[in-house]
Amino acid sequence: MNRVFVTAVVKNVPLEEYGRYLPPMKARRFGKLQKRALVTALKAMEISGIAQPDAILNGTAMGCMENSVQILESMLKEGEAVSMPTCFMQSTHNTVASLIAIYTQNHGYNTTYAHRGISFACALHDAFMQMRMGRIRTALVCENDEITRYQENNLQLFGKIAPEDKSEAWMLSVDPGEHPLYELLDVRIIHQKGAEDRAVILKNLL
Amino acid sequence: MRPRVVITGMGVVSALGVGQAAQVKSLMQGASGIGEVRYLPTQHREFPVGEVSLSHDEMLEMLQIHDDQRYSRTSLLGMIALREALAQARLLDREDLAFISGTTVGGMDVTEQHFPEPLPSGMRDVHDCGANTNGIADYFGCFDYTSTVSTACSSAMNALITAKWLIESGERDIVVAGGSEALSLFHLNGFKSLMILDQERCRPFDKMRAGLNLGEGAAYLVLEREETALARQADILGVLSGVGNACDAYHQTASSENGEGGYRAMMKALEDAGIDRSRIDYVNAHGTATPNNDMTESAALRRVFGEKLPSVSSTKSYTGHTTSASGSIEAVFCLLALQNGFLPFQWEFQNPDASCIIPVSGFQCPRAELHHVMCNSFGFGGNDSSIILSRYE
Repeated sequence: MNRVFVTAVVKNVPLEEYGRYLPPMKARRFGKLQKRALVTALKAMEISGIAQPDAILNGTAMGCMENSVQILESMLKEGEAVSMPTCFMQSTHNTVASLIAIYTQNHGYNTTYAHRGISFACALHDAFMQMRMGRIRTALVCENDEITRYQENNLQLFGKIAPEDKSEAWMLSVDPGEHPLYELLDVRIIHQKGAEDRAVILKNLL
Repeated sequence: MRPRVVITGMGVVSALGVGQAAQVKSLMQGASGIGEVRYLPTQHREFPVGEVSLSHDEMLEMLQIHDDQRYSRTSLLGMIALREALAQARLLDREDLAFISGTTVGGMDVTEQHFPEPLPSGMRDVHDCGANTNGIADYFGCFDYTSTVSTACSSAMNALITAKWLIESGERDIVVAGGSEALSLFHLNGFKSLMILDQERCRPFDKMRAGLNLGEGAAYLVLEREETALARQADILGVLSGVGNACDAYHQTASSENGEGGYRAMMKALEDAGIDRSRIDYVNAHGTATPNNDMTESAALRRVFGEKLPSVSSTKSYTGHTTSASGSIEAVFCLLALQNGFLPFQWEFQNPDASCIIPVSGFQCPRAELHHVMCNSFGFGGNDSSIILSRYE
């Protein structure tokens, strides 16, 4: 069994840094969540020195809410005459992991978990198992969510998971490199009827 | 040596009906389930759909649900399919199973009925993907691990792939995986916006094809470590012998011209199964009947198999595109074909297209002894996956 190391953890990339990872000309095409997710991923790749991980995984509780809510609002106004191809294309939960792959031309394993509060742990668990078994050697595991103004006022409709604007990216490698941050020891997911799912991420600070 | 992952139960609901027997009957007769919309409250009656012929109340009755909670159609379809799978595998009394479900729209049918008003107080939330997975799981109470994969139209197949990791890594002996997705106005109007819905019954790989028909349904497979299955004397229905997942990395909704993502997914599945491409007897293609998918998937198939292309067909001509559930519904079709010795055929196929493969067609269902079959499932974002299912020998 391979050991699994975390070689970069990136979150809350300040806006001033965006230009360094994403040229403004290219950034224009992307929504807020997409930009934030992309620069967070690109920074993790830069810090770890791994530009082409074997896998890209994302965890998201609610997916691309801005685009989804826009479609719902338009359907309310225009009924079924609505036509919003771009919003629809970018409304699926896997938009972010795909965008990172498209932007970096990465043809590796690519998947997305959308399992409420433990979506990131589900993604981490997938990467961890594959790395332990030697199926892959490196993986970028991200967590991305956005909360729209609409949702804040309507938690009862969209659920009480209450995600926040959040982007985080971890680079995992079976090779500790020079400056590993943690060794990932285990990921456990616990489901109990009637309770929120729990996840335990066991890691050793190095 | 990796443990073998075998299948000991399956359950399915689609436009062809409820349960395995209904699917086999229609597939062998060449009888499509695609027709006029009946339950989805849409004005777009010009688009045929692969709708499950059950109302919300009929499903509640089937499941004997009598509480006053709201249930999404995705959840109810999922429960009906999961019940068949757990019953066949004789696992309904267990409490230590893992469940991985794929969905994208989740409870959008409920959300769009209420929007912009909140759900009435006292009701549990049903919008997000994970809520649907847990709703399905908790109807049975058999699960202490649940997870949701959401990679658009390849969600259910990627759930099967995650399940394989859980068993091979030794973490779990039994994992139930697949997907569920209901029709919603959100989805129908979304696909309509992309202008890829055919106003006639969809025609995969046909020169005249003009897009897909949206469908709905659910299917789950009980995946199990071979030793565990043998020890509890379960009936073994087949083997999940290979899986492959790759990203096309080209465009959010269009596939690259040479089908790079699909090609890589199929090659990975063959490598994982450790079998030569010449041993694949049948491919259940993603075959949505959009001009782009069928052309690029054909290019990928030709790259993988060269001159010696196995029999290929798309069963979306029977069910419509069941989106997030398609990967597991079509995996069940593959297993049914393996068990019953037939090739799913496209009864209505008429016009070969030079840029596409020619699917299995004709007026009679071809009988065939199958050993290894491949099943493709591709999604938005270029999330392409392929699995190989084999006869248990």
